[in-house]
Amino acid sequence: MISQFLVNGIITGSIYALIGLGFALIYNTTHIFHIAYAGVYVAGSYAYYFFYRVIHLPLFFSFLAGIIVSVVLNLIIEFLIYRPAYKRKSSPMISLISSIGCYICIVNLIALLFGNEVKIIYQGVQPSYNFGNIIVTQIQIIQIVSFVFIFILYLLFMKKTNFGKFIIAFLNNPELLSSIGINIFNLRVIIFIVSGVLAGIASCLVATDIGMDPWSGMSILLVGIVSLIVGGVGKFNTAVLGGFLIGIIQSLVVWKTSAKWQDCITFLILIIFLLFKPEGILGTKRRFEEI
Amino acid sequence: MEIIRLRNVGKSFGGIKAVNNINMDFLSGRITGLIGPNGAGKTTIFNLIGGFIKVDEGEIYFKNENITNLSPWEISKKGIGRIFQDIRVFKKLTVLENVLLGKSNAGEYPYNVFLRFKEVGKEEKENVERARYWIKFVGLEGMENTPAENLSYGQQKLLSIARLLMGEYEVLLLDEPTAGIHPEIVKKFIELMRKIVENGKTIIFIEHNMNIVSEIADWLFFLKEGEIYDMGKPGDILGNEEIRRIYMGLSDVKT
Amino acid sequence: MNYIFHILIMVFIYGILSLSLNLLVGYGGLLSLSHSAFYGIGAYATTLLLIKGVNFFPALIFSIFFTSILSFFIAYPSLRLKGDYFVLATLGFQIIVFSILYNWVGLTKGPYGIPGIPRPKIFNFELSTPFHYFIFSGIFFFIVFLFFRKLYNSPYGRVLKSIREDEIASASLGKDIPLIKIWAFVISCGICAISGSLYATYVTYIDPTSFTLDESIFIMSIVILGGSGNLKGPFIGTCFMIILPEILRFLGLPDTIAPNVRQIIYGLLLIILMKYRPSGIMGEYSLQ
Repeated sequence: MISQFLVNGIITGSIYALIGLGFALIYNTTHIFHIAYAGVYVAGSYAYYFFYRVIHLPLFFSFLAGIIVSVVLNLIIEFLIYRPAYKRKSSPMISLISSIGCYICIVNLIALLFGNEVKIIYQGVQPSYNFGNIIVTQIQIIQIVSFVFIFILYLLFMKKTNFGKFIIAFLNNPELLSSIGINIFNLRVIIFIVSGVLAGIASCLVATDIGMDPWSGMSILLVGIVSLIVGGVGKFNTAVLGGFLIGIIQSLVVWKTSAKWQDCITFLILIIFLLFKPEGILGTKRRFEEI
Repeated sequence: MEIIRLRNVGKSFGGIKAVNNINMDFLSGRITGLIGPNGAGKTTIFNLIGGFIKVDEGEIYFKNENITNLSPWEISKKGIGRIFQDIRVFKKLTVLENVLLGKSNAGEYPYNVFLRFKEVGKEEKENVERARYWIKFVGLEGMENTPAENLSYGQQKLLSIARLLMGEYEVLLLDEPTAGIHPEIVKKFIELMRKIVENGKTIIFIEHNMNIVSEIADWLFFLKEGEIYDMGKPGDILGNEEIRRIYMGLSDVKT
Repeated sequence: MNYIFHILIMVFIYGILSLSLNLLVGYGGLLSLSHSAFYGIGAYATTLLLIKGVNFFPALIFSIFFTSILSFFIAYPSLRLKGDYFVLATLGFQIIVFSILYNWVGLTKGPYGIPGIPRPKIFNFELSTPFHYFIFSGIFFFIVFLFFRKLYNSPYGRVLKSIREDEIASASLGKDIPLIKIWAFVISCGICAISGSLYATYVTYIDPTSFTLDESIFIMSIVILGGSGNLKGPFIGTCFMIILPEILRFLGLPDTIAPNVRQIIYGLLLIILMKYRPSGIMGEYSLQ
């Protein structure tokens, strides 16, 4: 019985991992607390819905459209909000609040256009497969396979391409980058594109599995942030560890007590890590020496 | 007597040793200077004494009490005050408010504000008197209600000095107190430092202006690359050819 | 007429909340997203006592102390955290508290809520009409306003301002930074309990959905929009945020889309203000 829950945990964990990765990409490099990312997430799945159910594009192209919308929206936020704030040398708190404002606008606009209730993509029952006593639906298999695929692509991108290497260097020393002639702003564009892709994929996968509503983006993002903190800040792939850990822990909570305590336990873990191990399991310790 | 002692103090930042094996004694009632090229570790030593950064090795003693790694406010309360190289006045607060903050009072605890309001009111009145005295002393009279950000650089520096004096500390750490100040005011400042020390207080200062150093310092520590290269009376130190070579621009100083 | 009293009562209740958050944000320089949690704790603490037959005033006093003490245990470890991490911690607490209020059905009746909360009785006179309540909440607002005015203008207020300007310089002057911030947090959350108690006894029904993360963001928006760091800002912000929806309704905006439109306006205002006027409409302080 526990194995079923473990598998469920891993499947949900893969989504948290994706969101955590996307958030970490932006946070590690630019130190922007991109709360509006939750809005980007939701926009992706609603675009997917729109193209599939309203315009009747084939599923695959609707999915792609969802990803594209996420990317575009992410870039719009970067250009309209974060970049001007960076140029004005605004404090991070100000960007945070603008980000919250952005999130509020996006999500309420979507609610206005599409309604507040849950929408589903797939009607009817999903085909499922048995592996011993474990039952997995088709979409869940697609989710985990997609995750592995995307993560491998992501790692290749970060480690092998020039962009990826610059992004990693960005983390350590942004000034050095500009002094060797790399345009920080172009790099930021790449960062926001990749992170947009991750959000789009995650949200469309979840939408295909259980549907979507305008408000679920925030909860997923928050768990993604917890995954980042738990997995380790300062590195670009540790959020994956965090994501799966949290997914499994949530599943175990459901198994042992009930689904209603998931949030409480998840954020209790966040608090414990923030207070005792803020750098996460695999992260780099931040030095707080002032002056 | 030795009022501040550093024993084997060391500190690294990310693999680079900022100060290494520092052993210093500062005598009370004296003006001691820390001099040396930029990056020699002078401000780091101030930060270590003041509790703003933690030592990696060694201990710091204040009047025979071990104050190593105490928090900045604990060290301040024990009687060690400082001014910063980058001044750090409270820009949006007025001159008067800045100076009033130089001294602790009961009203800084919210329960006192309500439960002992008479006492707090009385103390506030007294503090305002005192603050006005120091504001006048540094020559900022009449500007009590001006926001600090409207003051010139030199005036802000004087403000930070007034704020420090308000605290009636036993030991004053002055980080480049005369940089950017008009020579007229520098003269006044030197007199001030002498007066403070006559009353038994101790001054430790970091300075790059060798004329000032030679005029008022009783003792000097010359630092280079995080270590004490030499120490002694100003005449000896500044007359030393080796030191003058290391520390460029000394050749035109009269000792 | 009752309608106008209702709006004013809400202004008073949220005015108290925003004045208290202002102490934390505008003076302490700490952005907290857990305010609605303490609002809720205050509301539930008072309610549970009132249901048991305790009179309003003792219940209120207990509630204030209870909320304050609870907030101390949250503040003490969290205030070590810097910037983003502090906000994140307050967010975490908000969600945990909400989860407990929602799921600990044995204590709080969870999503079913607690109906039939008795109205306050002052010497056998029961406050029954909106007009009574308008006066009642107005008096509390006035007292809280005077309280904060005294606090902001006191040496403590001055120390808080110095910390928000330059924490290091303040520390070098002997100010015990963590202690001062903890006091700000504790006072701020204790005052929330007043709002919670007023709300609970006014509506005579509470459930956890009034105390969500969105509510925390709403209270934060009041302080950010109106401006923090002085007394006028939060009041202007409260009036604006409470009255705006009523104006929208007046203009004939259908109730089905009104909440969403309102939120979009708030969101846009936050974005615009942060860009052009980060200290808010009437504030003195913009976040560092």
